[in-house]
Amino acid sequence: MTDMMQVARREIKMGFRNPWAYSFLALFCTFSLSLLVINSQNIVQGYSAITGSMLSLILYLLPLMTLFLGSFSLTSEKEEGSWQLLSTYPMGTMSFILGKYVGLSAVLLIIVAFGYGLMGFISGLIGINFDATTYFLFLVFSAGLVLLFLTIALFIGSLSRNRWQALTISVSVWFFLVIGWPTFLIAILGILPYLWIKPLLVVLTIMNPAELVRLFVVIKLGGGSVLGPEYYQWVEWIGRPAGSWLFIGVCLSWIIASILAVYWIWERGRSRG
Amino acid sequence: MFSKGNGSHHIHKVRVWFMLILMNVVWIVPLNPGIVIASSISQTEAIALQPIIDQAQTGDVLVLAPGTYLGPVVIDKRLTIRGEGVVTLLNHSADSAIQINSNGVKLQEMNIQQDGDGESAAIVVRADQVTLEDLVIHTGGYGIILRGANGGVIRNNIIRWFIPKGQAPGTRGNGIDLYNSHGTKIMENEITYLRDGIYLENSRNTVVDQNKLYYLRYGIHCMYIDGSYVTNNIGEYNITGAMVMGVTNVVVSGNSFRKQNQNVHSQGILLYDVHTSSIVNNTVEGNRVGIYMEQSSDNDLRDNIILRNFIGVQFLGAEGNQFQSNGFIANVIEAEATDSKDNKMNGNFWDSFQGLDVTNVGTSDIPYAINPFYQQLISNNSAYQLFFQSPGMTFLSDMFTNGKEEWSTDHAPLMKLTTGAPAETASSYGIVMVVGWLLLFLSAVTIIYLGVLRI
Repeated sequence: MTDMMQVARREIKMGFRNPWAYSFLALFCTFSLSLLVINSQNIVQGYSAITGSMLSLILYLLPLMTLFLGSFSLTSEKEEGSWQLLSTYPMGTMSFILGKYVGLSAVLLIIVAFGYGLMGFISGLIGINFDATTYFLFLVFSAGLVLLFLTIALFIGSLSRNRWQALTISVSVWFFLVIGWPTFLIAILGILPYLWIKPLLVVLTIMNPAELVRLFVVIKLGGGSVLGPEYYQWVEWIGRPAGSWLFIGVCLSWIIASILAVYWIWERGRSRG
Repeated sequence: MFSKGNGSHHIHKVRVWFMLILMNVVWIVPLNPGIVIASSISQTEAIALQPIIDQAQTGDVLVLAPGTYLGPVVIDKRLTIRGEGVVTLLNHSADSAIQINSNGVKLQEMNIQQDGDGESAAIVVRADQVTLEDLVIHTGGYGIILRGANGGVIRNNIIRWFIPKGQAPGTRGNGIDLYNSHGTKIMENEITYLRDGIYLENSRNTVVDQNKLYYLRYGIHCMYIDGSYVTNNIGEYNITGAMVMGVTNVVVSGNSFRKQNQNVHSQGILLYDVHTSSIVNNTVEGNRVGIYMEQSSDNDLRDNIILRNFIGVQFLGAEGNQFQSNGFIANVIEAEATDSKDNKMNGNFWDSFQGLDVTNVGTSDIPYAINPFYQQLISNNSAYQLFFQSPGMTFLSDMFTNGKEEWSTDHAPLMKLTTGAPAETASSYGIVMVVGWLLLFLSAVTIIYLGVLRI
């Protein structure tokens, strides 16, 4: 536990001395202010095309930012040799991985919190009305994206030898999960028997953190009816308070499963030298 | 609540007091979800109402003392019957509880419980100028039936379907059912759990105003009611909010139909064979289809808010309709037209469209063409609706711009919604500012303390 906290603390310190973190902070702040302006054009409360495009904008930026910061942090451990050094210490791999995860998520969540803080502060200052439910759901949406994509980032960082490799993989993973997702799915599922499509689509949606978090927020914003009769029962389920717990449960199992997988990769690398 | 008599000198007052019986009376207890279980009552405790009516003179005002009365009754002279306190009329017979055969009868402030189902009704009116006010009706079958009864007023009644104790659920009838009854005013009623809330057939110049209609088959169902007004009604969770068929010159305005989505045939407003009518200022939200129009021509659809429906507006064989200055917000499929021509769809507000108004006239200089790619995709398999407005989907549909000139197009879309949009409330924005402050402060402190300072 103390080992883990040491790693996490070191990670946060490194994180905030990294110029990358500050460039992302600046980018996210500009971005959150533009969201504020876009939202002020919104004429209805709850889900509308404006909130939809705001969600899309967040989906473009946050996962990419998370994948970069997360995967670079792990590859730099290998590149700079600090992991080789740490391996000689009596410290468990799990403490190392968990510490990395906790530290990195702290850094990223602080960046997100700063951006949203600025957004809320400015909206109050200049008197732009921002609905509290929407604001908190966007905060949850962003935090969820960061936490889930960070596990993918750890994967990428573990499998890549250096930063360049991590960068390439990160961009392709981001493109696949965020931009290309419907195109790939429609193409692939089109070949399969009709009855398989819906169950497979649901399973694959749970596997894609971007879609998982987006759909949760859409439903919570009251836009569940846009998903149509096929998903009424789901929408009703997730709309209830128990639905939030289900969502948290799915996210937690996502995180735990990926961390275990990352642990296995590192442990394997450690024992084989 | 309790309205006094009209104060005229000529009215004899007949007061009926049955104090002893009062002690043993068991009341009907209305339960909140709408379906009521009536406590059974032995017939000896209830007073038969027909002898009291038989004794009254034409023009009398009968004020019924609190208590339970027994039907069925036939009113064949001009009477005003009003309940004082809690007055309940029970009818265990298969006939209708009250039959009104004389003009000018008024019924006010009573509870009526009609056990019979199917074609039997709590009240059947076969006379003109009848007023039914402040009644609470629980019926196993129909609520109020008007046959050849002109100029009636049906105001502020509550009509619900119920299952009489110890009986199997009966066949639901309509809440208010008019046939060949012209010039009736139906206002401020609340109707739930029946078949059709308000059913109008062959009844011209009827006014249906400010009624509340929940959990019905059709909230308002009307046929051949030329020159009628359907205004300011609220309908939720019905299969169809308002079904208007075979009419000309009807006004449907200010209604709000929400959440008609539980059935595969659900819609907010259905217009079939409707001509030269105006459908204005309505709000349709969260329905399967917001406004559905078939075989209808020369109507004016204006200033409606079409919000979060699966299909905003659907036309089938509709010609020459004006469709202007409506607001389309977050509909999955905004508008769909089949075999329809010469409809003018101009100057509407589309929230998914970013216009450009160089000339500053309030309408965009860029036309809005509705991309049918997503619609075609989900009509092949509705499971793909999960992709609605996902970033990748936007990306994909933007690439399919083949045959753009054939898409439904609004040539001068509105830049801003002009009609009464559901306004945003300003109640919560203090919280956002305070939370914003806190987040900003905490994150800045953390960055400085953990990152910048060298401890």
